[in-house]
Amino acid sequence: MKVEKKRTEPEIPTASMADIAFLLIVFFMITSVFSVTRGIEFSLPKNDTNETPPDSQEEAIHVHIVPAGGDCVFEVDKQQMALSDIQIYIEPKLARNPNKFVIIDPDPTAPYRCMVDAFDELKQAQVKNISIPTAAEKAAWGGVI
Amino acid sequence: MNIRKPQRAESYIPTASMADIAFLLIVFFMVTTTITVDRTRVALPTSLERTEVPKDAAVIAIEEGGVVHFSDGEEQSRVINMGDVLPAAAFVIEKNSLKWFVIKADGNAEYQHVDRVMEQLRQASVRNIAMLTGQESVS
Repeated sequence: MKVEKKRTEPEIPTASMADIAFLLIVFFMITSVFSVTRGIEFSLPKNDTNETPPDSQEEAIHVHIVPAGGDCVFEVDKQQMALSDIQIYIEPKLARNPNKFVIIDPDPTAPYRCMVDAFDELKQAQVKNISIPTAAEKAAWGGVI
Repeated sequence: MNIRKPQRAESYIPTASMADIAFLLIVFFMVTTTITVDRTRVALPTSLERTEVPKDAAVIAIEEGGVVHFSDGEEQSRVINMGDVLPAAAFVIEKNSLKWFVIKADGNAEYQHVDRVMEQLRQASVRNIAMLTGQESVS
């Protein structure tokens, strides 16, 4: 008597493969952090100790940043003004001379964000020549600003 | 007469290609993801003007207290002394004189820390720098 054997077809179970893959996706999505890759560009001056102040012929606009209890006070050409007023003050001067130099001079103890605020404001006002002299540069200029 | 009932095809949802789709997504994310060289947590200042910074730029992170982290853009950042920024930057500039440097400073850090870093970068003949900022909300 012949006994017929039932053959089961061989197969690789792949039903859970999608679950594993989606689990991996979820894991990567949760653990990944978005990094900030945007900012304000700035060109440093050449390393030359004999450099003169940026604007020797005509007066540059001088933005002094003074710390005031966690915040800052902006003094533009020795006049205290709000951040939003800087643009209004600078625009007519820029209209006369588009290459007008603006020097940002933050106090050493002022918060860094105030300098960025002032820089951003000047960029919005389309100022082409912005200078942020370091303490060593200011010393080399001999207290011109 | 015996009429046979029509054979019913079993209904099912084809899920064989689901894994392929999921793996395709994983590969896509792996290829497009860039690994951050600096993971220092700082409260970035905000600005309206924001331009894209080159991806392989060297990073100098400054914490609120003035602790400096340095990365040449390839290796993970490490803490260095404030006075060691100049030799570290000079070494990077020696290999690539047009290398971009990103200053990632905490908005509440005192400006003198940033000033000292900028002075050393200038001395190391760095030309292109970018100050990392967050998005400022327009009110």
